[in-house]
Amino acid sequence: MLAIAGVSGSLGRAALLVGLVGAVFGMFASVMGTRQNDEKVLRLVPRFATLCVVATVSAFACMEYAMITRDFSLAYVQKVGSKSTPALYNFTAVWSALEGSILMWMLILAVCTVIIAWKYKSKLTDPLVAWAMATMFFVCTFFFILTLGPANPFGKGAAGVLDGPGPNPLLQNHILVLFHPPILYVGYVGMTIPFAFAIGALITGRLGEGWLLETRRWALFSWGFLTFGIILGGWWSYEVLGWSGVWAWDPVENASFIPWLTGTAYIHSVLVQERRGMLRVWNLSLLIATFSLTILGTFLTRSGVLNSVHAFSNSDIGPYLLTFFGVIVIVSVALIGWRGEKLRSPGTIDSPISREGAFLANNVLFGVFAFVVLLGTVFPLIVEALQNRQLIVGELFFDQLATPIGITLLVLMCIAPVLPWRKASGELLRHRLFWPAWAGIAALILSLAVGAVGLAPLLTFSLGGFATGAALRQLVLATRRQGLRGLVGRANGGMVVHIGVIIIAVALAASNSYTRSQELTLSAGETAQYGGHSFEFVRFVEEKDDRRTSVKAEILVDGDGIYAPAIQKFTNMGQNIGTPSVKSMFSKDIYLTLQPPVKVSSNQAKIKVFIKPLMMWLWIGGGLMGVGTLLAAFPGSRRKPTDPVSAPIAQETSA
Amino acid sequence: MKSTLNQKLKSWPVWMLMGILAVALLAVGASRQSGPLTQEDRIDNITQRLACPTCDGESVYVSQAPASQNIRNEVARQVASGQRTDDEVVAFIGSSFGGQVLLVPRATGLDALIWVLPVAVLVCCAAGLALTFRRWKREQGGQASDADRALVAQLLELDTHNTDTL
Repeated sequence: MLAIAGVSGSLGRAALLVGLVGAVFGMFASVMGTRQNDEKVLRLVPRFATLCVVATVSAFACMEYAMITRDFSLAYVQKVGSKSTPALYNFTAVWSALEGSILMWMLILAVCTVIIAWKYKSKLTDPLVAWAMATMFFVCTFFFILTLGPANPFGKGAAGVLDGPGPNPLLQNHILVLFHPPILYVGYVGMTIPFAFAIGALITGRLGEGWLLETRRWALFSWGFLTFGIILGGWWSYEVLGWSGVWAWDPVENASFIPWLTGTAYIHSVLVQERRGMLRVWNLSLLIATFSLTILGTFLTRSGVLNSVHAFSNSDIGPYLLTFFGVIVIVSVALIGWRGEKLRSPGTIDSPISREGAFLANNVLFGVFAFVVLLGTVFPLIVEALQNRQLIVGELFFDQLATPIGITLLVLMCIAPVLPWRKASGELLRHRLFWPAWAGIAALILSLAVGAVGLAPLLTFSLGGFATGAALRQLVLATRRQGLRGLVGRANGGMVVHIGVIIIAVALAASNSYTRSQELTLSAGETAQYGGHSFEFVRFVEEKDDRRTSVKAEILVDGDGIYAPAIQKFTNMGQNIGTPSVKSMFSKDIYLTLQPPVKVSSNQAKIKVFIKPLMMWLWIGGGLMGVGTLLAAFPGSRRKPTDPVSAPIAQETSA
Repeated sequence: MKSTLNQKLKSWPVWMLMGILAVALLAVGASRQSGPLTQEDRIDNITQRLACPTCDGESVYVSQAPASQNIRNEVARQVASGQRTDDEVVAFIGSSFGGQVLLVPRATGLDALIWVLPVAVLVCCAAGLALTFRRWKREQGGQASDADRALVAQLLELDTHNTDTL
């Protein structure tokens, strides 16, 4: 057994070495091949990519094998493995700490590389593609070095260890651990692909408009996964952490959100480039910023400079990531300085009141938003460096700034979808925005009727109605003209995404502003009323297995369903983990937590009840965003590039 | 007939009316009282402004650590006694547990930067965008040459049904 055990560690390490060699050779083959215009060399590039992916898949398999067979000769297995972890959480334990996460990053990166290499195999003679491939291999090389050096998952552990603590209790508590990290990573790592094409475009000083389309599609693909991953993370937080929220502006959350913001800016402003050929350098900069922010975010959260509940481990990976970040930024800035002029387009944007103008305003807002989140995340570092003083930036800071930014974005979402390219007149806006604006008034009246208060939430609801009206107007016009095909394509799929975003904004505004909570102390059989609902404490249920003990308090809510918030104590960690129980309805969620300390013998439970309006709509909005992204990813109506983009509006302009 | 009705409906006065209606409704909604806060709601509001002293960057509201539980209990006592406002309770906890438990950075000294910088960046970006638009506007002054006109005419002939949004 031990002999095999030792083998999985050395095999994994060997695989990673082979992968490193493949990446380095792939990089040289791409550069040499394109510089000497040697097709024979270029033909090797996809093979090196395959080598990388085979190597990483093997390394990942070795890691899983080691984890599943509980091979405690490896330091990593000693750290996150345990004999008592159930199979599912043992499988996911591989990415429950730094080394394994980097290995998963490597795996996804290698898969991206091989997909690009084979998909564009016949186009490798195009220097732009060859340089993009070289960039992919360069990033691969860096991550292979990480997995062989500071984040080595196959390091030998201390001798004689026969069991470990298992993964952090929070990571063996919910099925989402299987989905949220990999999906988020696909989005995060996928941003490497558009970045590689951006670098390729800068080096060749050439922007084939066909490649622009490909780059946009890959960016959209990564953005979609990133969005999905972030929403799943919110859901996980809600289901597991017991404070009834989805987002805490924690550094790790911010690290995923900042690239999302710049990525969102890109997928909007790239449309100006597609349509007008403008903003090329700006769009490339956004892609580069998005990728470098993923590296910076990883540095901030994984190196231990910032602490976070999510970080789950620290290591000496920091200097590597910071150096890599520095290299990317310096090289990119130099490339933009060198090649920027060549890519710049001669055109101008005629009027700020136009589709282009709206996209630029969008970029300003998303840029400022990204800056705010980044500033709030690194501010403790700045203060500590300058004044040697600890400081924590709270959620309220982010909330206070995100609210006005979010509301301004909603305003933009009301107007932008109806704006024509080039130039709009006041009269045109008055006509096109008329019914959407009334939808906003209707939403305002409706929310007042159901008792909403407060300026910010009311603005959100009314602008939400307005923006939904504007998005629906576009969809109605498109479907009227093209039938169901009108839902497909970047503009119309984008409108579906908008509606999803609006639903999320409304749900967040409602749940953040109107959550009410109460602590109920109940003896067995006792019933209490709160917020129009009844809560009867039935009994405690104790469960015990060899890794944890849990106490559940069974609560009968409104006389028709048992909900059982629990507290679990993980024996290995000595940590108490509360698990909430949620009754979800379309109008509100009832979120129950069991409050410590729990004395089962007393038969008295302290239950905290949160009433959270509209929570379910967060997930519905998220689902709609996913659907919209899929619709936007498909090529739109098969129109010639010279055909008009917007639906005909003959009746309206003549009106 | 329909078009004139449509035109009247969507005219400036109707829009003004809509604007006034929206402002009035918002004013009503913003000024009316929300339902009474329970003690627990107040505790939630206050603990969101306090940092858990032992965990990394979580608020007392979020955290389940014992140290947070202590602060929570103290906040609950203060709220139950009913003598201090939310701000006073936050200040009180800050003075008894040390300034490090206060979450939102103050608006003085170096800390003020965190409030100033976002505004400064927004102003700079907006100003930069405005300047760019001015530059673009100047650049548009260029006259089209005969060759340009010929090209446009030729393209228009190729694509006669091109009725763009404007």
